[in-house]
Amino acid sequence: MSLSKIARFATALAGLTALAVGAQAQTPAAGEPIKIGAIVSATGAGAGLGIPERNGLLLAEKDINAKGGIKGRPIKMIIEDDASNPDTALSKANELIFGQKVVALLGPSLTASTVAVGGVTHANKVPQIAFTGIGPAVERERKCVAHVLPPQRLNAQALLEYAKSIRATKVGVLHDAGYGNVVMAELRPLADKYGVKLVAVEKFEIGATDTTTQAAKVKAAQPEAVFVIATSATPFRNVKQIQITQPVIAAIGSSSYEYVNAMGTAADNIAIPEFVVGEDPLPHQKAFVDLYKQAYNSTPKNYEAAAWDAAHIIASALNKAGADATNEKLCEAMKAPYSGVLANYDFSADDMTGIPIGSFVFSKLVGGKYTRTPFRVSQ
Amino acid sequence: MASLNLQRNLLWIAVALAVWAALPFLVPRNIADLLVFTGIYTIAGLGIGLLLGHCGIVNLAQATFYGLGAYASAYCTVMMGWPSITGFLVGAVISMALAYVIGRPILRLTGYFLALGTLALSAIASALFFEWDWLTGGTLGIGGIPKLDLLGFVLDRPSRYYFFVWIVAFACMWAAHNLVDSRSGLMLRAMRDSSTAAAALSVDLQSLRTRVFVVCALFGSLAGSLFAHHVSFVSTQSFTVDRSITFLLIPVIGGATSIPGIVVGALFITFLPELLSKLGDVHQILFGLALVAVVVLMPDGLMGAWDRFRARLVARGGSDA
Amino acid sequence: MTLSLILQAIFAGVTNGIVYALVGMGLSAIFKGSRVINAMQGEFAVIGAMTTVLLLTKSGWPYPAAIAGGALAGALVGAFIEVAFVRYMALKNASEDSFLLLTIGLALTLSASVLFFIGRDGHLLPPIGGEGVVLVLDAVIQLHALWLVAIGIGATLALRAFFHRTTVGLSMMAASIDADGAATTGINVGRMRTYTFVLGGLLGALGGILVTPLISVDYTLGLNLTLKGFAAAVLGGLTNPLGAAVGGVTLGLVESLAIIGISSSYKDVVAFSVLIVIMILMPNGILGRAGRRGG
Repeated sequence: MSLSKIARFATALAGLTALAVGAQAQTPAAGEPIKIGAIVSATGAGAGLGIPERNGLLLAEKDINAKGGIKGRPIKMIIEDDASNPDTALSKANELIFGQKVVALLGPSLTASTVAVGGVTHANKVPQIAFTGIGPAVERERKCVAHVLPPQRLNAQALLEYAKSIRATKVGVLHDAGYGNVVMAELRPLADKYGVKLVAVEKFEIGATDTTTQAAKVKAAQPEAVFVIATSATPFRNVKQIQITQPVIAAIGSSSYEYVNAMGTAADNIAIPEFVVGEDPLPHQKAFVDLYKQAYNSTPKNYEAAAWDAAHIIASALNKAGADATNEKLCEAMKAPYSGVLANYDFSADDMTGIPIGSFVFSKLVGGKYTRTPFRVSQ
Repeated sequence: MASLNLQRNLLWIAVALAVWAALPFLVPRNIADLLVFTGIYTIAGLGIGLLLGHCGIVNLAQATFYGLGAYASAYCTVMMGWPSITGFLVGAVISMALAYVIGRPILRLTGYFLALGTLALSAIASALFFEWDWLTGGTLGIGGIPKLDLLGFVLDRPSRYYFFVWIVAFACMWAAHNLVDSRSGLMLRAMRDSSTAAAALSVDLQSLRTRVFVVCALFGSLAGSLFAHHVSFVSTQSFTVDRSITFLLIPVIGGATSIPGIVVGALFITFLPELLSKLGDVHQILFGLALVAVVVLMPDGLMGAWDRFRARLVARGGSDA
Repeated sequence: MTLSLILQAIFAGVTNGIVYALVGMGLSAIFKGSRVINAMQGEFAVIGAMTTVLLLTKSGWPYPAAIAGGALAGALVGAFIEVAFVRYMALKNASEDSFLLLTIGLALTLSASVLFFIGRDGHLLPPIGGEGVVLVLDAVIQLHALWLVAIGIGATLALRAFFHRTTVGLSMMAASIDADGAATTGINVGRMRTYTFVLGGLLGALGGILVTPLISVDYTLGLNLTLKGFAAAVLGGLTNPLGAAVGGVTLGLVESLAIIGISSSYKDVVAFSVLIVIMILMPNGILGRAGRRGG
């Protein structure tokens, strides 16, 4: 607990008194900044995504403005917290779009919030760039809602590519009932195409504190490799605890320093198909990684980069269409290829993402640190 | 004197109605959106208030019925392409039937055991919502639920939907008021205050409690259907145990025995987080503290505190005169 | 389904069961002494574990001292909650459900505070007895899990001895069974209630510290542990801490056997359904009335 946090707490308490009196803070209209709205889950269960995303957004705002903004006009990022709740995300979106009159909306962090918010942005043709992979069928109709993380089908494909590269044909899967379930639905039909047999598929509930028994069932099926698709450290620890010695491949959802810390020694040798390895960035990622390290004194991962990209994508669309362009014009300007830090996107693609499988890099955890492996999928 | 009071009351009602009707046009859209949620939460909270305030039952399963209503609406309209009304009806029928079947055995429990029983029910339902993805869409949910359409008038923005939701909410409040005022209401309170005495008067406790539980489920399901048509998207995240806890907070904060209290509780739940979120990430701590403060300082909820405050004012006024 | 798989499930069930038991025992000790259902019992576990982690890694305390510090933190928070909130509300004759709501509010506050002040990271503690494992017919059990089971059983027996053999324990029992009667014999009923919360905080913190070498602790862990601990306590009859221990292990075993017997996705459904059925059929818990005397 740092002093600055206590100070922030005290300031907030003082601010609360001000709010109670009804003092509504008004930003002075100076310099005519272009307002961009963002919704992240900074509190609640999704904070592990939302906080890194907010860091990426704030860094991008500084970067864009330092480089002259949009034709001389600065951008102003208005970031709201949905507390990991889709209902809250919806009313925040209404506030940003109709109250603040933002030109575009970045976020939210979670699929449920994204689809809920998409109902408003789509109906009002406000450009939106979500920090999620494309979700349920209805999202395919929303041609103004782009995604900066890969669709789950691509994540499933990346896992299988890696399995193929290590010649594993019998694979066991340990996955959670949320994120894991969605990836799993895509994995099943794809496995056949890759000649991979799923010898055991075990599920556990979100927030499970123990998955030893499920891991034991996977072990009993004698797989040649194990996929772990989850958003927590627990299954990884259990896999090592019951001495599964086969290669473990994790989906991108568990690639963050928080989870790796929580895995402890169990993290060693886990392979992860992902995009940003801050310890050893690709040439085009280096500038972002250096800037991030300088600003936050920590190494960025995928979510920081995704948010950074989202901000730059909208900035480039604004540069193309002009700051006063209509929503439709801005949408059209956005629907183009873009090479970002995370991946090469193409928002004119059918899935509003357009990430090629070649954008994946494959990392391995060694001593709690990420190392980038030379393996890439050739297109 | 009486007629003067009546006149004054009528005047107040007229003013309140005018404010209610003008409100969505005076406030920004996000506030109108929150007012829609307030209406939805009021309906869901009413049922819990009935159980808590008149039967002494802590119901931690409302998210289950809320979810059933929402999924029924989503499934009927999106998957089957049926008119919206079918979703409301299917949800209501399933919820009431489930509440009846489960209510009979579970309501034999009392006190904390009953609270845990309903909590367990909510946990089971939440696991099944995840599991039965052919019905619920699982984690991805079901999107594209159409906005309600009343004879060609599409309720596609918060300021329009507001009226529909609140008319339903008022109807539910009226129904709850009648239930409380009726003979059954009297029996309910007799049962809450002394179940042995009520049993001696040959009040059939079980069936009475089950009936209120069924009404509570109906309100929950209605609220869920209204929610689905407002957000146009449903997923498991909205129907977890946390949501059941939130619903329970509504009558406790507002005051379980008072119907206006439920509205106050729903306002608290929707507007306070919004207000606090302007202060940054600290807002969740502050919300928790506010909740603790209400529970500790106002044992009968905000409405109870208000009543006591007014009683004190009247008492002071009386002594002055 | 092989023998080693069943054995593995039993190991997992017992290990988890002991954790549920420790949380449940704290819950039922508090309920016994104050008639308050403590919905923040799982947060005690988070407080204990987080304090230990911070003392160990940030302040560089030796491990045993850090564990003692963590347990003490749980006890202190327990005492604070009784003195600051419960005492005042009890004075005003607050209803059962307002106590439940109080602790729900405190649980929300604490979980949000951990996220805000300490951060979103998961933390681990070093396992007691090292990283080693024991192999039984291909089934693996951690050395730490054996320690956890041993300490859990030790805590259960110590709690029993405390209630039956010590003056304070007997006074606490008396105050909980008949407050007025106890008061006439000179027992300070209010102070006994404070002790009850100290005990509950201590047990919860201990559970959290013991589990952190197996699963990482973060700000979201509390609610989950509370739910399971609550279920364990109810299975044991709620007023009987010893029953909570039996209830916890039963719940753990039902869960892990459901995974190999039925399907991992229906684990919670099975566990909670069993809970509802037992509550209806055995209102005094699985130990029945005989168990009531036990704690």
